[in-house]
Amino acid sequence: MKKYLAVALGILTAIGGFVDIGDLVTNAQVGARFGLSLAWVVVVGVLGICVFAEMSGRVAAVSGRATFDLVRERLGPRLGLLNLLASLLITFLTFVAEIGGVALALQLVASVHLLLIVPLIGLLVWFVLWKAKFSAIENVLGLLGLALIVFAVGLWQLGPDWAALAQQAAAAEKPSDEHWRTFAYYSVALFGAAMTPYEVFFFSSGGVEERWTPEDIPTMRANVFVGFPLGGLLSLAIAGSAWLVLGPSEISVDSLGQVGLPVAAALGKVGLAFAILGFVAATFGAACETGLSVGYSIGQYFGTQWGKYVRPSQAVSFHAVVVLATLAATAFLMTAVDPILVTEVSVVFSAVALPLTYFPILVVANDPDYMGEHVNGRLANGLGSIYLVVIGVASVAALPLMIWTRMGQ
Amino acid sequence: MSGDERRENRLEGRIDGALHLLDRQLVDSEGALLGKVDDVELTQVGTHLAITAVLTGPAALLARIGGRTGSALVEKWAQLKPAEPHRTRPWRIDMEDVDRLDSALHLSVRRDGVLRRDHEGHRLGRLTGMAVRGPDGERVGRVMDARFEPGDDGSLVLCSLMVGHGRPGSLLGYDRRGDQGPWLVRTVVRRLHRHTVIVGAEAAEIAWPESTVRLSELPSEAPDHAFG
Repeated sequence: MKKYLAVALGILTAIGGFVDIGDLVTNAQVGARFGLSLAWVVVVGVLGICVFAEMSGRVAAVSGRATFDLVRERLGPRLGLLNLLASLLITFLTFVAEIGGVALALQLVASVHLLLIVPLIGLLVWFVLWKAKFSAIENVLGLLGLALIVFAVGLWQLGPDWAALAQQAAAAEKPSDEHWRTFAYYSVALFGAAMTPYEVFFFSSGGVEERWTPEDIPTMRANVFVGFPLGGLLSLAIAGSAWLVLGPSEISVDSLGQVGLPVAAALGKVGLAFAILGFVAATFGAACETGLSVGYSIGQYFGTQWGKYVRPSQAVSFHAVVVLATLAATAFLMTAVDPILVTEVSVVFSAVALPLTYFPILVVANDPDYMGEHVNGRLANGLGSIYLVVIGVASVAALPLMIWTRMGQ
Repeated sequence: MSGDERRENRLEGRIDGALHLLDRQLVDSEGALLGKVDDVELTQVGTHLAITAVLTGPAALLARIGGRTGSALVEKWAQLKPAEPHRTRPWRIDMEDVDRLDSALHLSVRRDGVLRRDHEGHRLGRLTGMAVRGPDGERVGRVMDARFEPGDDGSLVLCSLMVGHGRPGSLLGYDRRGDQGPWLVRTVVRRLHRHTVIVGAEAAEIAWPESTVRLSELPSEAPDHAFG
């Protein structure tokens, strides 16, 4: 019974944990402009994150090594360092975006200036990362994040023409007033939002924190293959409701309030309250995950003690990095940079950086010296190779598309 | 910690220095992390070149960056604190304090005070990447990896060198097995490294000051069966 509870809890937190500020903003933007015609990208992205997370989770469970251990072991100190710097930059941008997202969500309630909220959130994130237990962070925020299900309820309440929506999704029918290049740009952005690298750093490092063994592989797989796709369905619900409410009036999404607007239209104040609770939980959870991921990556590259499974006094450099990263992220937001803009940039750069960590994991997941009998099977390698190509193409295309479309205008 | 596989001790068999030892996590007897294997100390014992210690810390890591940047960084590292003696000398952990090697290198002692800075020897990180020349001085390639096996006294001694074109470690282990997947990566790596050969240690003379390995005969054997 206890085991089933653990599996259920893992799946529920994976659903809530899948959605972060990048998914919220990008799906609403895409939904408002393209409807469900880019739904296939969400499907491709969710399957991709499943393949990637399953491999790195399996490697963590069997060998006890997390992502950046393997990056350095396979790529060496020099290439590994470049990889670390690039990945850190993107994780840091995401960290900034998540803290900004929490502040934006609270601003919807409190109506005070954003810059008054940001320092408080920064302080709170640091305090939670310092004091709270790893499982508490993951479970409490993951479960509260389930409030975002209100988007699915909202979509159903809006009573759309389901056949038309399904037709639009299945045929990838680009609205005629949009250009192909923006269609391509937003598909890369949506892919980056679904396959954010920090999710895998956090997932594999979390596996090491919780001391997974090969016996935990089935539980880990259940979390990944059920939790993430359900999270992907939430993403589609956000996009679908945005299309129904914002699409007809040509509203382009550039604030978190607009992301929540479809729910308010469908379900009124109570619905909006749930949506805001979901925003706060999902972005705060992701802020904790990205903040930890900054510390994890640096600790794993240099081999110093990292993690929350030891007391802070035993992992001083790890906690020092987390404090500095939180301070820097807060300071960045205090320059009055728009968190939505940071989010848009971070999802595109996520797509650029993905191959850097994906490739070493794919190689190690095939190495019997690490994995013994748990090396990739045919399915994992078939999908793994296809995604190596897909990720490579998205990575190369991301920046040219960003410049060509002037960020999707 | 978990699973029987992890109990396996690779120090009792044949290992590739760059693939299996360099950049591994160092774990102490209580499971605490204390650094990476930033380099490996090699000492000439009689006719053999043996692994005598693992090196860790910035002085070893920065030198591994390699080239002029690496040397400059090591110099800067020393200049950070001129009052400290032997700052460019890396911290070392004697092989006597090493328990076993799996996906990490486990020590038999606690991490507190285990590092020493008492000796400076040759480094594996210098050996890999060295230019390799044939009997007539012609360039054959570079040292991609160094293979060690347990010697008579139990220490790991150099038995052969992998020589090819490219960065040390870029064989990614695909030279050891012919069936390691995925097919796409294996095919590309093998294609890139199709000229890689393996040289017995007795046929290779290592000139440390010149960073060159001179071979007494031209090698032709491909490493194991992967490049057949």
